[in-house]
Amino acid sequence: MVGGHQPPTVSRARRQFRPYLLSIPATVVLIGILYPFALGVYYTFLNYSATNPAPKFVGLQNYIYVFTDAAFWNSARVTVTFAIAATLLETVLGIGIALLLNRSSLIGKIFEKVLILPLMIAPVIAAVMWKLMFNPQFGVLNYMFGLGSTFDFLNADRALWSVVLVDAWIYTPFVAILVLAGVRSLPKEPFEASAVDGANWFYVFRRLMLPMMWPYILVAVIFRFMDCLKIFDIIYVLTSGGPGDATKSMQVGAYIQSVLNFNYSMGSTYMFLLWIIIYVVANQLVKLLNKAQARAAGSEG
Amino acid sequence: MIDLPKAMLTRRNVLGAVGVGAAGLAASSLLSGCVGVGGTPAAGGGSAADGVTGAFDWKKASGTTLHLLQTPHVYQQTYEPMLKDFTEKTGITVVADLVPEADYFTKLNTELAGGQGTHDVFMMGAYWVWQYGPPGWLENLDPWLKNESATAPEYDYEDIYEGLRTSMKWDFNTGSKVGTGGTYAIPWGFEINNIAYNKKVFDAKGIKLPTSFDNLIDLAVSLTDRSKNQYGIAFRGSRSWATIHPGFMSQFAREGGVDYQLKDGALTGAMNSDAAVSFTQKWADLAKHAGPTSWTTYDYPQCTGDLGDGVAMMVYDADSATYPKNKPGASKMAGNLGWWAGPPGASGSYATNIWTWALGLNAKSKNKLAAWMFMQWASSKEATTKAVQTGTLADPPRKSVFDGAFKQSLSAFPGYLEAFDQVVSESKILFTPQKKFLETTEDWAVALQDIYGGANAKTRLDQLAASVTKKQAS
Repeated sequence: MVGGHQPPTVSRARRQFRPYLLSIPATVVLIGILYPFALGVYYTFLNYSATNPAPKFVGLQNYIYVFTDAAFWNSARVTVTFAIAATLLETVLGIGIALLLNRSSLIGKIFEKVLILPLMIAPVIAAVMWKLMFNPQFGVLNYMFGLGSTFDFLNADRALWSVVLVDAWIYTPFVAILVLAGVRSLPKEPFEASAVDGANWFYVFRRLMLPMMWPYILVAVIFRFMDCLKIFDIIYVLTSGGPGDATKSMQVGAYIQSVLNFNYSMGSTYMFLLWIIIYVVANQLVKLLNKAQARAAGSEG
Repeated sequence: MIDLPKAMLTRRNVLGAVGVGAAGLAASSLLSGCVGVGGTPAAGGGSAADGVTGAFDWKKASGTTLHLLQTPHVYQQTYEPMLKDFTEKTGITVVADLVPEADYFTKLNTELAGGQGTHDVFMMGAYWVWQYGPPGWLENLDPWLKNESATAPEYDYEDIYEGLRTSMKWDFNTGSKVGTGGTYAIPWGFEINNIAYNKKVFDAKGIKLPTSFDNLIDLAVSLTDRSKNQYGIAFRGSRSWATIHPGFMSQFAREGGVDYQLKDGALTGAMNSDAAVSFTQKWADLAKHAGPTSWTTYDYPQCTGDLGDGVAMMVYDADSATYPKNKPGASKMAGNLGWWAGPPGASGSYATNIWTWALGLNAKSKNKLAAWMFMQWASSKEATTKAVQTGTLADPPRKSVFDGAFKQSLSAFPGYLEAFDQVVSESKILFTPQKKFLETTEDWAVALQDIYGGANAKTRLDQLAASVTKKQAS
């Protein structure tokens, strides 16, 4: 025993103030987020714009305007459609890729490294790259698939799905890596037991692996779904929200209102409503995750 | 047993991530918060120009460092090597910051909305007088122009085309025309919208220039051969106000369309008149049958690029944007391009919308005298003449320079001058000045894209007119 050392004496005042001192960084960060957030919410009750620098309180007028505006509901539809489609595609593909990579082979090990490359590219750069590939006149996709110069990936009917494709290209590896980590942490015993019992691959996957993987999948879904609801960069680079309003997500709408049209109150209203949607959705998904965790741990049902 | 990293995935933590969504709201709020609610409008008091007294001297602001915000455009590129001349003449050092055109106005909007005087002088267009003027972000230049102590005796502002001078003036009142109120920018260059065409192909095929819009449509369709990656005509189609202002607005006006009517003191959308509906449908069909496949992403660089590559047979856009493509070595089709005014309307109208690149003075600038020195030097006869002779400056805003140095440089640009002369008397800003120009004109571009996508023109334009009327009233 290395004895003899007394704990350092700390003055009473120092002991008293230490908790407050330690909480300063967190408080500063909290104020940094909450102050502009509260300011933004406050703006939603004003008619504040660059051309109206002396705004007045207008109550719920901005909300009434937005809720009776077809463009807002179109933006909400685009946002939710994109989020569901992209998350679904990325999840399905991500699970498939994770299962393939789980098999120990040389190709699997190489692909594991290559797979992460899209995640290392900034989404804006990836979108610029895809925009060039989508170009009907010189883009590689039309050439490769023999579509000629008349097939437009970014026309009103296809633009949203093209954005989903680009998002999936970037973020499917994220889901795959998350799920792969989950798959690799699964205990071996149940799988060995099922092999002894002669269960086929699909039965093992459906009855054993999928339920055990479910919490990991849900984590990926939560991250991707929340991220997709906030989609801006890829859409803005590819289509700026067009053609027409075909890809105008709520974030793009808020940007157009606030930054391009100088209509700060309307932009803040869009963003506050998007925040409410994300909050509610995230709340529900986390409840689902808790249930899945409990079920996987065997404490429920 | 599955053991999730619970510390990372507690409900509280994940919900905390929702705060990222809040950060978006916070960011937009911070942007506007920079100004603060109740930000200072244009000062109603005296001008800084009143403080400049005594005899005029180019060296009056010697020793000052001036900050410019510019976009890499032909004007900026032409003037960049000439900045040393300005420094030599005035003793003022110039620091120019460049922002690509796609992000230029976003950057400028953000800076001005933030009430910053970081950049003293910036490039802007006439429409920005309507956006930046009312919040008081632009210096009224009339007191500077009138002050003989601040303005060189040889400056001769009246030499700048009248249409360009009036396009810089507005009194910010709904229904007032351009040309009323103060002067909020100095014209630096301008663009007339007309059609540049592949003269080599036209001559080889013996094609005569169309005399009506319907003839133009027929010709453009006949020149389109998708199997050869060749199409008839390019014009802008992106989701931006900039889609409306060049070829579309010019031909729209020639065919009898107007954007707004003043009714009971309020602006009422008129882009749904019978003439407007008919023209808009034809324009969208023209884009579909004879335009680029990805028309809804097309801005002027794509249009002029396709003309230069020999992919587009015609481009309906700014003459100064197509002009550089004919310079030796500038494009595959250099030396093979020609210009014409575009088809007249049924009434013989050659109404043409103009765009003016101009220099604005930041109302928050602390170097206003130096800034004014730069603005008058950049738009002077001496500098403009040199820009035409040594650079690629097309359409100088000064009549004396246009008729002199610029005309002498046009021998290798067939039809350029004739097209200019054809429309110059009917060229002006065809839009009604309004404080919501960017927003409502982008709405117009969205409607045009919808019609291109198959929406009924009448229904969609009725909807647009109702929407912009409501916005003007709010």
